[in-house]
Amino acid sequence: MIRLENVTKSYSTEVTALRDASFDVAKAEFVFLVGPSGSGKSTLLRLMNRQERPERGAVWVAGRNINEMPDSKVPHLRRNIGNIFQDYKLLTNKTVFENVAFALEVIGRPRHVIRQQVPAVLDLVGLSGKQDRFPHQLSGGEQQRVSIARAFVNRPLILLADEPTGNLDPATGEGIMRLLDRINKTGTTVVMATHDQRIVNMMRKRVIQLDRGVIVRDQARGVYE
Amino acid sequence: MISRLRYTLREMWASMSRNKTLTAATIITSTISLLLFGLTLLIQRGFENQLKLWTGGVEMVVYVKHGATPDQILLIQGALEGQATVIEKVEYCDEACATQVANTLFAGDQDSLEQLIPKIPSFFKVTPIDKDSGEVLRTLKDTFSELPNVIDVRTPDQQVEVLSQLKSFFGVRTLIISGGLLAASALLIWNTIRTAMFARRREIEVMKLVGATNWFIRLPFMLEGLLQGVVGGFLGGIFMLLINRDWTNGVRAFPVESGLEGFVVTDGYPFMVWMVMIAVGALVGAIGSGTAASKFLDV
Repeated sequence: MIRLENVTKSYSTEVTALRDASFDVAKAEFVFLVGPSGSGKSTLLRLMNRQERPERGAVWVAGRNINEMPDSKVPHLRRNIGNIFQDYKLLTNKTVFENVAFALEVIGRPRHVIRQQVPAVLDLVGLSGKQDRFPHQLSGGEQQRVSIARAFVNRPLILLADEPTGNLDPATGEGIMRLLDRINKTGTTVVMATHDQRIVNMMRKRVIQLDRGVIVRDQARGVYE
Repeated sequence: MISRLRYTLREMWASMSRNKTLTAATIITSTISLLLFGLTLLIQRGFENQLKLWTGGVEMVVYVKHGATPDQILLIQGALEGQATVIEKVEYCDEACATQVANTLFAGDQDSLEQLIPKIPSFFKVTPIDKDSGEVLRTLKDTFSELPNVIDVRTPDQQVEVLSQLKSFFGVRTLIISGGLLAASALLIWNTIRTAMFARRREIEVMKLVGATNWFIRLPFMLEGLLQGVVGGFLGGIFMLLINRDWTNGVRAFPVESGLEGFVVTDGYPFMVWMVMIAVGALVGAIGSGTAASKFLDV
């Protein structure tokens, strides 16, 4: 589903965020990207949805080299990739329903499809009954569930999560991980950057460890270390 | 398609509502600049009318008594054409032609037309070879004034020259000022759209991440700028029509012999200018918002 071939990314002549990174992620796989701050985890995620382009190497997503993809095709690529963030990136002036519907609306889905898909995904993330609330009326865990619902409502092939439990207490974080695991079991590939040792050790999924932009470990059913 | 249109209009309205003060400032600036632009066109038209009224586009006009016979007219024409060494061209405008000219010049002024048409004179338009020689014009005027059935001979005098100078003075300067104000409007629209995009940067970021195309993101902002320009043109046009109405009423109150009736623009031209103002407003809005929406999409 995702393939990186000798990818190098620098932000300046002094800062190399990623050096010669190569790995494959299969369809429906769940992968943790671990490593200290500044190790290149977020850069990897940004390369996968074409927010960034590498200096060298190739990034393949769903069989296409996305570095060579024309800019006009990038929105279509992103419709197959859901994004989840530590700070949720919810729109504060929109309700839960509107936040999730927004993702469908801006890609031109008709109203009847939105009315059908949004309640279904809100039910999946455990937020049915809260669709008329605004983000500030929700807990952190609930806000992250809205963010997951928005990322998943279009049924993407891939879900990229950047520290999704970073702002949550352990119990709430576990709930979010159970939700991501459920989504993964529907066949969606999940790539998650995290610092959360407890969660990585609990999930026992594939772990790719980065250190100063270099992949230092790639382990199936790994732990944080 | 309908859902996209609904979305675009809703977002455009939401953005304008969110920046009420800036939107109002932009519309006011557009209105004032387009008003000045429209008034410039009207002033130019007024000067043109007045010049046409005074000179008819020729150097000398010989008016023939109303009801003169063809023989009498031929006699005058022969006298004019006999001066081939000093006269380049002679054109005759009969009473039907003169009525048509009066209908153009006094359009909307039914009272003046009713007084003029029953006794309207026909006239010869005379173009001398040496147009700059005041001496030649004066001699010709004296000569032809003496011809039988000639009621008046008019030559361009100082007033026409002053009028021409005024036309060019005001025309150029008001065009420069209105051009400057239009540029200010475009910049203000540009800034409004930039502010609107900055205020919604989070939404734009989310939109891009979920796969919205750049055009889909840009369109509400571009429409917002376009609408501000169109509203500016529409309101500016209303003010221009009101000013023109007051001016027309004011000039009509002048004595007939003031000779300023040509400054009235009433022949449908102001409505055409109104349409031009709306079109220019739309253009200014589209340029301002289009450049901003393209430049600041990566907020």
